[in-house]
Amino acid sequence: MLQFLIRRTFGAFLILVLISAITYFMFFAIPQDPALLACGKNCTPDALAVVHKNLGLDQPVPVQYWHYVVGIVMGRDIQGGHCAAPCLGVSFANGRNVWSTILDRFPLTLSLMVGGAIVFLIVGLGAGMLAAYKKGSLTDKIFSGGSLVLSSLQIYFLGPLVVLALVISTGWLEMPSYTPISENPVAWFSGLVIPWAVMATIFTAQYTRMSRSSMIEQLQEEHVRAARAKGMSAPYVFFRYAWRGSLIPIVTILGIDIGALLGGGIVTEITFNLAGIGRLARDSVIQKDLPMTLGVMLFSSAFILLCNIVVDACYAFIDPRVRLS
Amino acid sequence: MRIFGSRRTQAAVIAVAAGSLALTACGGGSGNSSKGQPKTKTQQDAKKMSEPVKFGDAAASTGPAPAVPGAHSGGTMQVYQKSDFSHLDPGQTYVSDGKVLDDLLQRGLTQYAQDANGNLTVVGDLATDSGKESDGGKTWTYTLKDGIKDQNGNAITSAVIRHSIERLYASFETDGPTYVQQWLSGAGSSYRKALPKGGYDGKHLPDSVLATPDAKTVVFHFKTPEPDLPQALTMPGYSAVPIKGDTKQKYDQMPLSTGPYKIADFKPGKSMTLVKNPQWDPKTDSVRHQYVDGFDINLNVQNEDQTKAILADRGNDKNAMMWTGAVATTEVPTVTANKAAMKRTIQGYQPYVWQMNFNMNRIKDKRIRDAIAYAMPSAQMYKLDGGAFGGEVATGLLAPTLPGFDPNFDPFGKKKMPNGNIPKAKKLIKEAGAEGKKVVYAYANTQIRQQQSVVITNMLKKIGLDPVTKEVDNATWYEQMGKIKNGMDLYMTGWGQDWPSASTVIPPSYDGTNLQDGSSDYSHINDPKVNADIAKAEKITDPAKAKAAWTAIHEDIVKRINPAAPVYFTKTFQIFGSNVGGLRYSNDLNEVDVKQVFLKK
Amino acid sequence: MTSPVQTEDTSVPGGNGPDALTKDGAQETKTQEGLSPGQLMWRRFRRDRTGIISACVVIFFFAIALLAPLISKVYGKDPYTLYGQNSLDLLNEFNMPAGSFGGASGSYWFGIEPNLGRDVFTQLLYGMRTSIFTALGATVLIVVVGVLIGLVGGYFGGTIDYWLGRFTDLMLGFPSQLFMIASMPVITAAFVAPDENTPTWLRAGAIIAVVGGLGWMGIARLMRAATLTMREREFVEAAKISGASPWRIIRKELLPNLWSPILVQATLQLPNTVLNVAFLSFVGVGFVEPTPDWGRMFANGADYIQLDPWYMLYPGVAMVIFVVAFNLLGDSVRDAFDPKSGR
Repeated sequence: MLQFLIRRTFGAFLILVLISAITYFMFFAIPQDPALLACGKNCTPDALAVVHKNLGLDQPVPVQYWHYVVGIVMGRDIQGGHCAAPCLGVSFANGRNVWSTILDRFPLTLSLMVGGAIVFLIVGLGAGMLAAYKKGSLTDKIFSGGSLVLSSLQIYFLGPLVVLALVISTGWLEMPSYTPISENPVAWFSGLVIPWAVMATIFTAQYTRMSRSSMIEQLQEEHVRAARAKGMSAPYVFFRYAWRGSLIPIVTILGIDIGALLGGGIVTEITFNLAGIGRLARDSVIQKDLPMTLGVMLFSSAFILLCNIVVDACYAFIDPRVRLS
Repeated sequence: MRIFGSRRTQAAVIAVAAGSLALTACGGGSGNSSKGQPKTKTQQDAKKMSEPVKFGDAAASTGPAPAVPGAHSGGTMQVYQKSDFSHLDPGQTYVSDGKVLDDLLQRGLTQYAQDANGNLTVVGDLATDSGKESDGGKTWTYTLKDGIKDQNGNAITSAVIRHSIERLYASFETDGPTYVQQWLSGAGSSYRKALPKGGYDGKHLPDSVLATPDAKTVVFHFKTPEPDLPQALTMPGYSAVPIKGDTKQKYDQMPLSTGPYKIADFKPGKSMTLVKNPQWDPKTDSVRHQYVDGFDINLNVQNEDQTKAILADRGNDKNAMMWTGAVATTEVPTVTANKAAMKRTIQGYQPYVWQMNFNMNRIKDKRIRDAIAYAMPSAQMYKLDGGAFGGEVATGLLAPTLPGFDPNFDPFGKKKMPNGNIPKAKKLIKEAGAEGKKVVYAYANTQIRQQQSVVITNMLKKIGLDPVTKEVDNATWYEQMGKIKNGMDLYMTGWGQDWPSASTVIPPSYDGTNLQDGSSDYSHINDPKVNADIAKAEKITDPAKAKAAWTAIHEDIVKRINPAAPVYFTKTFQIFGSNVGGLRYSNDLNEVDVKQVFLKK
Repeated sequence: MTSPVQTEDTSVPGGNGPDALTKDGAQETKTQEGLSPGQLMWRRFRRDRTGIISACVVIFFFAIALLAPLISKVYGKDPYTLYGQNSLDLLNEFNMPAGSFGGASGSYWFGIEPNLGRDVFTQLLYGMRTSIFTALGATVLIVVVGVLIGLVGGYFGGTIDYWLGRFTDLMLGFPSQLFMIASMPVITAAFVAPDENTPTWLRAGAIIAVVGGLGWMGIARLMRAATLTMREREFVEAAKISGASPWRIIRKELLPNLWSPILVQATLQLPNTVLNVAFLSFVGVGFVEPTPDWGRMFANGADYIQLDPWYMLYPGVAMVIFVVAFNLLGDSVRDAFDPKSGR
């Protein structure tokens, strides 16, 4: 187990280095001076030169990259201030510390992802199992058909419609907004209900299908049929044996989906005007704010990689046959 | 003042309100008013803003400020703001968000007082009056009031004022106004050489430039007469920064207050809490009040959400106000249809004029420039940027908020043909032999500008030109257009006054002597007569004469040279909670006047 | 990234795919059955009613996209004219469609676009055309790159396979949607002088490159697995012994037998790609005005939702139908190729 973790962490670290390098050098391929963003009013050549110096843009790109990497590990001094250890630099656009901006925005994105995932896992797995349990019945057909249509809706289409129907026209729910859970759990919940529901709608279908088919497969496994033959009741077998086995493919898909979920987060945040990591990424890319873009990319890559490692480690708990080696 | 702080561009699309009541009114005339449609601010209202400012004496500068009728103390005001404050260091503050905030937090030597009719008077703020000039306007003397302190209780002395000016020479002060520094020590960015370390190394400007003969007196010595100094000093950029507690670059994150409120808590991108500053003495301040106990500012709330919340007027939102926000385009029909809600709104002109700049180095034939100005579909343009509550067809390059604005000056016949005179333009293009000429038209990559680009390209094709469109980063739009060799022919920029005088509009935009990369002369106009006239007008000390001179220069520029086609003037339309009192439009901030708001209960 | 020359190479059999498939497949299976796998698949597919219907819907969408100029000519409007700006009664004082149902009428079937006042019907037609064609390009790129990397890795094994595998892992580690957004401006900016217009084809090319370049990993993995099992089969061994070059074996022996999974994957991939293209436009880094675009209609529609929900409804419903039909078609094609899989 420990060896597995070390190996995977090392691999993840390597990927992060590559991602950062690719993004960094890619950015300098743009024929636009990144310093313009920080140049301010009356961007005269003199002023521009000062900005170049302040931002360290007067040095060769590889040297800048080296400073950047060193900064992440040990922290560094930028623009007259010290930027502590995981130093992702300072935004060209507004001079804010990238790391603290990300930390500030991340809880929202995490709330969206976790909340959405809980909703779609419960609904998706439940519907899938029910469909599998009553395979071929009307319930099965409704669930399967419904999930297909729902999964074809898009957040940017469904979201505004839901807001129109449930907030603007009727006032039944609250306009999506974000309040930290530590501040006011009720407001946190009521503000995120619509985004969760909309995100979950899109993702649920896949899990319904997945859990339905893997459940059907499980129900045909020898050990399940043996248990059934022994005279155990159907529901008991269903929950005692089949359920557990069907989780493996689902966990796998979930691991892969974390990236997609983060991507779904961007659309959700833009659709509902929520200021999370996704919006931050979009805004900083459009502004060509290199440090912020790079910071968000690295942070979310690291997050995805971490989740993947956790998911892989989870296999061992769900399925004792899997060995992490 | 540029519409967007360059580093803040993403922030505030001033897009305000949809619809164009004024336009539909053209058809029905007075018949429309019977339907009870709310009127938008007209140029008649703006007229009072365009009077030249007066200069107040010691009596006008003595506190406390006259009480606001019906004012009530106490309560916490809720504030919604669309974007984060780009800067907190007053020396870096130039855009309207910061200006509104600093109206509560910071005090400088002078400040505007606004009377019941909306007329502005420059009064002494930290100083006892608006300033004493001598030597034909080359020397200005200010005496400080008694009992003025910063939030730590340290007295504000002449040394503090000198420090506040000198620190603006430091290289990290990049975004603030540069008027006074340039007047004192040289044009462009050459002034920085006079004090490269901004006084932090113990060196100071010589007494022949900035003198502090005693603890209460500050004397500015300029090379040439600078009649606008009292107005320049009202800018938040020239607020007092205490020597003790100035943390240089870090001051931008947590400044000290000298005004009636101070920052208690600031979470960037989320919220800011202002509380009363007990060291502020109302007796020393003739313009500000301290009615509410504090302000809870919620940041990153979009105009749409601001409007919805305030319109609903529930719970805490009864105490809510906008600062630089405006009623969202999508909400304008709802708000204007609601008579009770309309009572909670204010409207006013903003100082910005959107103009379609011609690159004078590339479009040299005036007939082509005139053709585009004639054909400019101004009404369609502002309709896309908010409608009648967000804009109005521009007839010239000076905003209705400026002294010298002449509503009858309309050389391109925009009032009669707000969507452009295509036949006339076609004829001009033909005369110029420019049919099929390639023009590179650049626009910023935001939704509104993209949509406007469709209208402009359409127009250019109609009049016989061959438009090449170029999408440019919005965040660095002005920096890219500010390059002399920007490679574009046409691009829209907005500029607004720094104080109500054309001297803050015409020289930065049309004075060719400043022309270099990064200057705000976006049309690259460099005309000897205009340059000479500007130099003359800048030295006129009499406000009325100055006003006449600027008006003449403006007309000359538009008619003789036409460096930029006027597109539209901007307006704002704001809504407030039902419990918010003391609402009025500030002709200095060009937003709601935050200095005198209170909560009714 | 694959060099263009190689891409060219493998797409040749793609061009005459069905022929190659019938010929080689027939050779192999003639002794057992009288029908080629292609014919078998077609037979099975024909019996699948859902499949046929969804195929018809999909074909309908493609036809509309292809024939958009013709349709708009017959219909008498185009997606560029600002009808609402030129006429006084199409838009109201708030720049919203004056008529009910988003201003829909006999002459403007789907109504008028708020603000600019263009015709929604032709906007949607051309928007779908833009999106579907771009997505088609991207899907081809995804399939070509994915198949190539999968095949090469699977066939050669060893070091090549190891490094291709690590490369695939690396790409999977990317937050792909974030990376798509981040690389779009770079690609467009890299090829265009700052004072020139970015041509629409270049934008389309950039979108294809970005969506394609970040979407091939799934297919590559599948192909690798399929190749691994195929590689040990007798006919491949036979070809090896007879001295065929690796490229010949990949092209003539492996590829023809992998057509069915490739086709299934391509069918499943296309709707996702359409969505990815729309996603880019939605977040604001895709196509720009005045190119009509499906994704941007959503971005604008969200702004108008309160005042004119109809504007978003048409593109939205069209997209749902398109994606549902395509997903069903994908399932049917898979079932037809491999009756054991799926349901």
